[in-house]
Amino acid sequence: MLYDIRLHLSYDYDAAAGGGRHQVRVLPPTISGVQRVVAASLSFAPAPSERADFSDFFGNNVTSIAVRDAHDALDIRMSARVSVSRPEPGLDVSPGIDRLKEELCAVRSLAPDAPHHFLAASDHAGIDAAITAYAQASIAGSTAGTVMDLCNRIHRDFTYDGKATTVQTRASDAFGLKRGVCQDFSHIMISGLRGLGIPAGYVSGFLRTIPPKGKPRLEGADAMHAWVKAWCGRDAGWQEFDPTNGMRASNDHITVGYGRDYSDVAPIVGVLKTTGGQVGEQAVDVIPVALEKV
Amino acid sequence: MAKGNQKKIRDKPLTHSLLEHYQPIDGVVDEMVDASGNPRPVWQDFIEALEQLGPEKLGQRFARADQYLRDAGVYYRVYDKAGANEREWPLAHVPLLIEEREWADISAGLVQRADLFEEILADIYGSNRLIDKGILPAGLIAASPEYLRPVVGVRPASGHFLHMLAFELGRGPDGRWWVLGDRTQAPSGAGFALENRVATTRALSDIYGEMHVHRLAGFFRRFRDALIGMAKVSGGRVAILTPGPLNETYYEHAYIARYLGIMLLEGEDLTVSGGRLMVRTVSGLKPVGVLWRRLDAAFADPLELRPDSQIGTPGLVEAIRQGAVSAVNALGSGLLETRALQSFLPRIARELRGEELLLPSVATWWCGQESERRHVLANFDRMVVGPALSTRLAFEDDESTRLGSTLSDEERAELVARIERDGGGFVGQEAVTLSTTPVYIGGWLEPRPASLRVYLARTPEGWTVMPGGFARIGFSLDPTAIAMQRGGQAADVWVVSDRPVERETLLPQEHDSFTRTMPGNLPSRAAENLTWLGRYIERSEDTVRILRAYHVRLAETSDPEMPLLADVRDYLEPFGIDVDSAIPLGLISTLDSAVYSAGQIRDRFSPDGWLALKDLSKTIHQFATTVAPGDDATRAMTVILRKLSGFSGLLHENMYRFTGWRFLEIGRRLERGIQIARTLACLTRTGAPDGALDMMLEIGDSVMTHRRQYPVQAGRRTVIDLLALDPLNPRSILFQLERLKAEIGLLPTVGGEGHMSPAAKEILQLNTAIAVMEPSDMTANALDDLAGEIGGLYNSVAKAYFG
Repeated sequence: MLYDIRLHLSYDYDAAAGGGRHQVRVLPPTISGVQRVVAASLSFAPAPSERADFSDFFGNNVTSIAVRDAHDALDIRMSARVSVSRPEPGLDVSPGIDRLKEELCAVRSLAPDAPHHFLAASDHAGIDAAITAYAQASIAGSTAGTVMDLCNRIHRDFTYDGKATTVQTRASDAFGLKRGVCQDFSHIMISGLRGLGIPAGYVSGFLRTIPPKGKPRLEGADAMHAWVKAWCGRDAGWQEFDPTNGMRASNDHITVGYGRDYSDVAPIVGVLKTTGGQVGEQAVDVIPVALEKV
Repeated sequence: MAKGNQKKIRDKPLTHSLLEHYQPIDGVVDEMVDASGNPRPVWQDFIEALEQLGPEKLGQRFARADQYLRDAGVYYRVYDKAGANEREWPLAHVPLLIEEREWADISAGLVQRADLFEEILADIYGSNRLIDKGILPAGLIAASPEYLRPVVGVRPASGHFLHMLAFELGRGPDGRWWVLGDRTQAPSGAGFALENRVATTRALSDIYGEMHVHRLAGFFRRFRDALIGMAKVSGGRVAILTPGPLNETYYEHAYIARYLGIMLLEGEDLTVSGGRLMVRTVSGLKPVGVLWRRLDAAFADPLELRPDSQIGTPGLVEAIRQGAVSAVNALGSGLLETRALQSFLPRIARELRGEELLLPSVATWWCGQESERRHVLANFDRMVVGPALSTRLAFEDDESTRLGSTLSDEERAELVARIERDGGGFVGQEAVTLSTTPVYIGGWLEPRPASLRVYLARTPEGWTVMPGGFARIGFSLDPTAIAMQRGGQAADVWVVSDRPVERETLLPQEHDSFTRTMPGNLPSRAAENLTWLGRYIERSEDTVRILRAYHVRLAETSDPEMPLLADVRDYLEPFGIDVDSAIPLGLISTLDSAVYSAGQIRDRFSPDGWLALKDLSKTIHQFATTVAPGDDATRAMTVILRKLSGFSGLLHENMYRFTGWRFLEIGRRLERGIQIARTLACLTRTGAPDGALDMMLEIGDSVMTHRRQYPVQAGRRTVIDLLALDPLNPRSILFQLERLKAEIGLLPTVGGEGHMSPAAKEILQLNTAIAVMEPSDMTANALDDLAGEIGGLYNSVAKAYFG
């Protein structure tokens, strides 16, 4: 599938802000076997006094900006054309979770995609006794089967509620609430998988939303999305699951970045000097491009 | 304890011997005496010298050492239920003596270890050979919070990860030294080692002089030179980064900064601009080339490391990636403190260097591996079991680290189950029995367990080992009781040679070239704190003068409703000064604020200055509970005034006229100008009560001068002439403006060279305006406006220099 993606992040400050430094992670990368970026651009208003683009440890695109002069708003606009083509999930060749541990020990690597980075507790997705106990009910013959089952159960057992949590909410708290958004469901699933000894990471990105039949697509109605990647052994490798929708990641999932949890791939982090609060808004459009029009 | 008391009350024996009650524990090595109880050769002369002094003199000598530490204001911070408190440095007076030849072995072992550590970091943050070959488990490294992904692949600008290391050593029952823990993140205590030395030699100068003890100063000089050399390459300044005054060892940060002449900064002093790390100074942003951090790496940059850090510098990691600054030690070095890593060192040493460790770690087993886990569980009673990823020293980590033999059946079963379930989270380490060394208790020497902290610094010629260090001494015979947070003590360590040793000092040698530090390196935050210190001290003085004048009159009349006294009460009330209490809360809080401001910049104070200020604060808090209004308060105010003058005198007479002094002076002059203008406005207003003018002269310390200058009774015009317009009266408003004009002219100009700064312009304008005024122009309203205008000057100075 080919998409045009537009993202608009805007922040308004109560009091004029100065000396702001931010890192922005919104530009999708080309990922072999998943997606290819045809074109992408990122712009800021006001124009930053410094800007540097680099890849972080996990290979995510990072744009670091500094806005020195006082400003009362910051606008970030990203647009990209991305072609997504994920392989069909083939035969399940993943081992059971006991053998997974042995296969894991045999991976002698700290490369960015090495499973070891994704096994230990992280800030938002700690290892939590209650979540581990919940996840244990999903244990199946194969690791991939276990992960898929947990994905489906979270989809079934939890209520989507945009008001119940914030970006700071941790897996354990969202688990207690039984509510949340894609970020929370992903954290709960990651936490559960780690509790079972299955390496699991956080994927941030975009999801194409399909309007109800006969209704037009609404502009800006989409939002950034998050799902989970799980390491299913030496042969099956990394596979991606979307607990918010109870499905494997499909060609409707466009990846922006990977991390241990949200904090590794937050769209914007940064510190600035302001005395008031700041309010942020985001608008996302994921528009499928009909091939004949290209 | 009971035993010690008995000794104190017993009559002094005729032939007193310090060693009379010295009984080492069976099966434990004692540093001073051998197995048959005879002093070892290196201790013989020392013990004899102590014996000759006798208990009385020894007591006096050791008191001298304590006095030194108190005078120098040496403290560390303890965190307990009452919060963070400053504690006096707990010096154990008898040094630990180590023979030079034995020291050479320790040094060789530690240098090997330091070189090995450098290679391990280069590998983990670089090519990952140790992981590829299966020597280090990837899972262990990946799980460590000290493995910092943002600096993976970054080669340090200096070429090295490690520059300053400390190792904690203990001697086991077999007589060998073992490494108990590695400090690679930001080792503390080197400055305390130096203070231990100074204090101990105060007590034992003659003995020290006669024994051939290696000196410490050369170690610091070589390290400072190495840092300056590194900074020259990267083109910037050297700075020490501290988490701030609330840190456990802030005293030491300030001490080392002062001792070595290096800037002491906090995270907010720094900013990143164009990929370079810069310090905000009163002359604008200046590059920093070497950052000796005393801050844990995770807190160094909220943008890429811990986002909740309030003490970091956003962008620091980016500056490091760009190679524009060298961190000492490199971010990520703390990884080597991970307890579980110790179990892999022997294999790594063989793999990377083809060597055996000269100085082994205490035996360690990581339970993430099957056979190791079984070993730990099978030998549980001999094990200290704790978290694998902990970076704390085992004996300082009493919450999560347990001695197997001390657990109840229930605790034991629970811990064993956790290890079975999550082996990778635990390490077992052989329980160490430390050697003992003598401490002086109530006239006798007694053995106490000790560990030894040794420092290594990198120089262009390689590692240099501090010939000494500090020993932690347990407060009881329990070998786990050496942590200072729990009442342990610290002792100096003497490395003794049988030949004369080189005497080194930090003073420059004749052949050394020197450059004088240029002004303009003053961090803005320090300048701001100095200005406020000046203001608070002056505000205290002005308040005390008014209060004294008030209480003198109250004592005479006993009538607080007398119009003049009522006037003063109403005048002071809006400033939080309630005259009904002899030592008003507002005054105490002003002085507390002065102490706070000074505490933020302790590296810029002489110990004398700091002690004078602490004494002032102690006095006023004491007075607050004892002094009554009237006569008593008058006397108290006089005491406080004298102590304030003493402090001001120290600053004025002893402080070098660095840029910092100028800010202190500016703060002081601004505040005095404001206070005098305000008080004048009140006491010289039309309709002021009887005696107001005399009181004004008294507050302005100008009674005598007035009598000499004006052959008439004090009148409104003469009082205003003397206290507002006389350029020769150090308490007049005009005098303050003249001083301000002079000082601001000597500050670095920010921005346009050769032009006057807006602050300087405003001061000049106000100065000129006052200089041409007549006493009749000085109405109460005009004086109040003037106070406001002088207050406004502060904002202009702040804008220009503290931004």
